[in-house]
Amino acid sequence: MGSVREWLRDRLGLDEIQHLVEKKDVPVHRHSFWYYWGGMTLFLFGVQVVTGILLLLYYRASADEAYESVRFLMTQVSFGWLIRSIHSWSANLMIGAAMIHMFSTFLMKSYRTPREVTWLSGMVLLGLSMAFGFSGYLLPWNQLAFFATKVGTDIVGAVPGVGHFLLRFLRGGDQITGGTLTRFFGFHVAILPAVTTLILGMHLYLVQRHGMSVPPSVEQGPTPPPRMKFVPNFLLRDMVGWLAALGLLALLAALFPWELGIKADPYVPAPAGIKPEWYFGWMFQTLRMLPSHILGLEGELVGILGIGLAGMVWLVVPFLDDVRGIGPRARFWRIVGVIAILYVTVFTLMVYRGGTP
Amino acid sequence: MKFAAGILLLLAASTLAGTPAPAAAAGGNSCIDCHRELEPRMAAPTEHFAEDIHAVRGLGCVGCHGGDASDPDITAMDPDKGFRGAPKRSEIAEWCAKCHADAAFMKRYNPQPYVFSMAEFRTSVHCKKISEGDTKVATCTNCHGVHGILPHKDPRSPVYPTNVPATCSKCHNSQYMKGRTVPTNQYALYVNSVHGKALLEKGDLSAPACNDCHGNHGAVPPNTRDISVVCGNCHGREGELFAKSGVSHALELEGKRGCATCHGNHDIQRPTDAMIGLGPGGVCGQCHTPESPGGRATAVLVPQFHGLKIEIAEADSLLAVADRLGMDTEAGRGLLREADDQLVNVRVSLHTFDRAQISDAITASSELATKSMAQARALLADWRTRRVGLGGSLVVILILIALLVYQIRRIESPRA
Repeated sequence: MGSVREWLRDRLGLDEIQHLVEKKDVPVHRHSFWYYWGGMTLFLFGVQVVTGILLLLYYRASADEAYESVRFLMTQVSFGWLIRSIHSWSANLMIGAAMIHMFSTFLMKSYRTPREVTWLSGMVLLGLSMAFGFSGYLLPWNQLAFFATKVGTDIVGAVPGVGHFLLRFLRGGDQITGGTLTRFFGFHVAILPAVTTLILGMHLYLVQRHGMSVPPSVEQGPTPPPRMKFVPNFLLRDMVGWLAALGLLALLAALFPWELGIKADPYVPAPAGIKPEWYFGWMFQTLRMLPSHILGLEGELVGILGIGLAGMVWLVVPFLDDVRGIGPRARFWRIVGVIAILYVTVFTLMVYRGGTP
Repeated sequence: MKFAAGILLLLAASTLAGTPAPAAAAGGNSCIDCHRELEPRMAAPTEHFAEDIHAVRGLGCVGCHGGDASDPDITAMDPDKGFRGAPKRSEIAEWCAKCHADAAFMKRYNPQPYVFSMAEFRTSVHCKKISEGDTKVATCTNCHGVHGILPHKDPRSPVYPTNVPATCSKCHNSQYMKGRTVPTNQYALYVNSVHGKALLEKGDLSAPACNDCHGNHGAVPPNTRDISVVCGNCHGREGELFAKSGVSHALELEGKRGCATCHGNHDIQRPTDAMIGLGPGGVCGQCHTPESPGGRATAVLVPQFHGLKIEIAEADSLLAVADRLGMDTEAGRGLLREADDQLVNVRVSLHTFDRAQISDAITASSELATKSMAQARALLADWRTRRVGLGGSLVVILILIALLVYQIRRIESPRA
């Protein structure tokens, strides 16, 4: 046994890895709780990969067979319903965890030098997660997904200049057809996973390289915060969170199995109350509440440009904020962050409460 | 009356001239000009003539009455100019038939015309009575009107489907029919029947009016043998099965009125399952006693039938429970829909009055309902298994969490 370990150590550089693991530690302070959300997002991504591969064993990506294959999986395959429900619930929890991770990173100003690229890669990962959600939502080929995808791609089509091209690129034509389904399947199981693996690898490398950021308020304290070994202390705590998430997933899947709905039929009218997935809700609600025309421009166009601009600003905040994380500029961006959280929360809730401001 | 009877009098005008005189169309019509100025009775024909289908198609007064409408004088009505006055009641049908029974002539106005048949009209009770000299019997103008005849597709026409029952009841009422043996309560019964409500309240033009069962130009009360054919025009499968059944022949021999024996005629109501059997509301008891072969058959079939309905209701109820619990019930629902379809088939098969056939239909539906119920039970069992599995997995997860917490405390204790 010992000789096998030595054989592997010489070839894989296990000593370097062991050294890295022993060296890695995590600062302990009153905001340490938020450090767990990156790991939580990663764990849920792992659940997505495993359950997604299992779903692939039965899923057939064509307009004629997609719905039936998911129904077969849910009704005839042992634990098929559980796998699908966990995949759907985990997708939502993952994006929720990613958002918490992003906002906590923002408010703790963890994006400051030298972690700007970590922030950028994280933002790209969030965008990829939402693209996963959008493309995966259509795959069961049910009525709600069909029309939600129609609404979603219509909004993309309103982007000035490239909108029509993007719409046709996403749909594989002017309308949503079986071709769109095949295309979304390709995005969901090939293109997005490949890109995500690369960016995720880079993100994790950067986290490892720069270590955990300490918030400015703690940084300015009289003494540096104590540190906790990543292995085993922090990792064990991480695992407690992951087990709790697993329990929550089991609970949600068993008590609220993800519905399949009725098969998509392009020739029936859109059902009332079509809504996008919750993580697109705040954008959907924003566009819905805008007047039809603003300053002579179409309201929807102004909304898309506004959301796009806000997203760009959000992306480059590390380059705009005070590098020390203190002072009036830092305070301003913290207030911007709080406003953003309130805006996204309130507008998301409004989608489900059907309200207006 | 679902044909072009609205133009029944169209071109009766050509009786004399062969080709209708387009007097009205030409503008000069001394008939209208003079009659309009006369006493009300003589002026009446001019009141609605402009919208009469004959006038619309370019046919004037002379088409039916002869004469010369271009002559502004009384000489317009000179018999030498073909003037023939107004027809006697007994002559009206013949007048109309001159054009409406002439297929070649009618084709000038419609490539696929309805061609009136005088021979058919002669088979009607109306025509027979007229031939016997009875002048209080309906002829063309009583149903279609005169000097203001509208196309039969015009909702204002007295022969438009929703107006037919009222049109017939103008004569078929107790006052008009006083002294005759003809029943006069048909209209009152019909308006409360399932057919009457469908036609008159819902405006469902596929529902039958009087003429759909009795005929129109050849109107007669359907005789015993014809009833299943008449009903079968719409209720095809039931009519076919009943006509082949032994009961149909037995009723015929007894002089009973086929379908109407159980369902009634003018007051026919939506059939209910309560009609089956000898119990309250059951129509079988009208002819059968409990000891008769038919009575004994109902004693077996009726409980089977109601048992099937209970099975279907139970399966539906179990599937609803599974639905509420978030289970996928589509397969069970599919079976239940098939069972429901088969239940309809059972109701239709009752018209065979054949115990084996009815029993087979009940069994076919029952098997589907049983499968559906089994699906529902399997779903509920699956749901309970999920609960147990969920509980078990949560216990395992909690134990693992407790172990992790214990491990964390152990490695972080000062002693460690």
